[in-house]
Amino acid sequence: MTPSQSQSTSEVRRVVRFVLAELRPKGPLLTPFNLISVPVVLLGLGILAVRFVYGLGSVTNLSQTVPWGLWIGFDVVTGVAFAGGAYVLTFVVYVMGVEKYHPLVRATVLAGLLAYVFYSGALVLDLGRPWNVINPIIGNSFGYNSVLFQVAWSFLLYMLVEMVEFSPAVAEWLGLKRLRNVLRSITLGAVIIGTTLSTLHQAGLGALFLMAKPKIHPLWYTEFIPVLFTLSSVYAGLSMVIVEGTISHRVFSKQLDASKHHEFDDLMLGLGKGIAITMFVYYFFKALLFLHDRQFDLLASGWGAWYLVEVLGCVLVPCVMFIYAVRNRKVGLLRVAAVWALVGILLNRLNISVIAFNWQAPVRYYPSWQEIVVTLTVLFVEIWVFRWIVLRMPVMREPHELPRTASPVARASG
Amino acid sequence: METYSYVNIFETKGLEYLLLLSFLILFVFLVRYLSTPPHGH
Repeated sequence: MTPSQSQSTSEVRRVVRFVLAELRPKGPLLTPFNLISVPVVLLGLGILAVRFVYGLGSVTNLSQTVPWGLWIGFDVVTGVAFAGGAYVLTFVVYVMGVEKYHPLVRATVLAGLLAYVFYSGALVLDLGRPWNVINPIIGNSFGYNSVLFQVAWSFLLYMLVEMVEFSPAVAEWLGLKRLRNVLRSITLGAVIIGTTLSTLHQAGLGALFLMAKPKIHPLWYTEFIPVLFTLSSVYAGLSMVIVEGTISHRVFSKQLDASKHHEFDDLMLGLGKGIAITMFVYYFFKALLFLHDRQFDLLASGWGAWYLVEVLGCVLVPCVMFIYAVRNRKVGLLRVAAVWALVGILLNRLNISVIAFNWQAPVRYYPSWQEIVVTLTVLFVEIWVFRWIVLRMPVMREPHELPRTASPVARASG
Repeated sequence: METYSYVNIFETKGLEYLLLLSFLILFVFLVRYLSTPPHGH
């Protein structure tokens, strides 16, 4: 064996030993979050076992009339909009060069990556024949004419792109400096491809509903659903960055020094400005479509009132809150507005995919308790993985803030 | 001789044009409003 071969072999051994050491839990196990999430996840896994043995009908309220329920409406359609912050923020930082938001990028990309992995994973739960999920990729009937063909490829490629965007953090964690430099050099290309793919599949998810015109209530159906989905994913993603960032900064506050806490509020206000402007554009676009379709008479019904709750209550009101909060530097109000905006997005996506879908059907769909438990299971496991990674890798902190005594790998190998 | 013809903006695209124009004007004001700090800051 040559000296270079033996060196790389010992390097691999050190990395393996380090990763095994990192698998040990960090921090207390008996936390309030764990006490709630562990029983829910165990129950959810049991329900999933029943679902895969006895079929969808055994645990869900889905039927031939209502084939899409909570798992598609919340996990996939809403979850992907919430994950939009990754493509917006990486575009702003790497392509537009607004460096001040750089400290938020890694946590946002990680949250986006996990959202895509878990929510597109949740798609498999909802397929009657889950093994067919791979068909659009391997060519066993590609389905070129289906919007799902484009959505499937965009999802897959975007997940790979997000892995590339996050990979420098993994290389830094493992102490592989040369690999980190190579991965960082391809980040800009990955961001450009990622932004393109994201806008494609955000619009693609909306385009799925274009063929369901007779089924969707006319107040929600428009041929511009793909544009509305893409536009709203911008402010949904940024609102999620504010909410997720606020929680992360409280939970993982030890990973940041005091000066970063003060800077964080300025960053949130900057994001709030972008959200306010995007919501303003979205609101006017909705108003324009409403006028164009002459839907005044539809407002005089229960559906009309529900539509106004969504558009006025959950778009216009949080938009005004964002404007006021940014102008007067009210960070607390900004956070409330971000949560409110997310509720609005949830309402909009559920209205289009579940509530106002099949609105004339005699039997209404309501999710079963098993569907709700499985949705919570997906969410909790995602949070577990996020926490595991943030506690180990340089996500919230810069790599140079790691203790300088020795590289992580060298520390693990003693 | 041509007579004056009344244009009903509710039957034409006029309402959409009015909305779009008001949007463009308000958009400029919104961006300016958000970009300038309030008094006392």
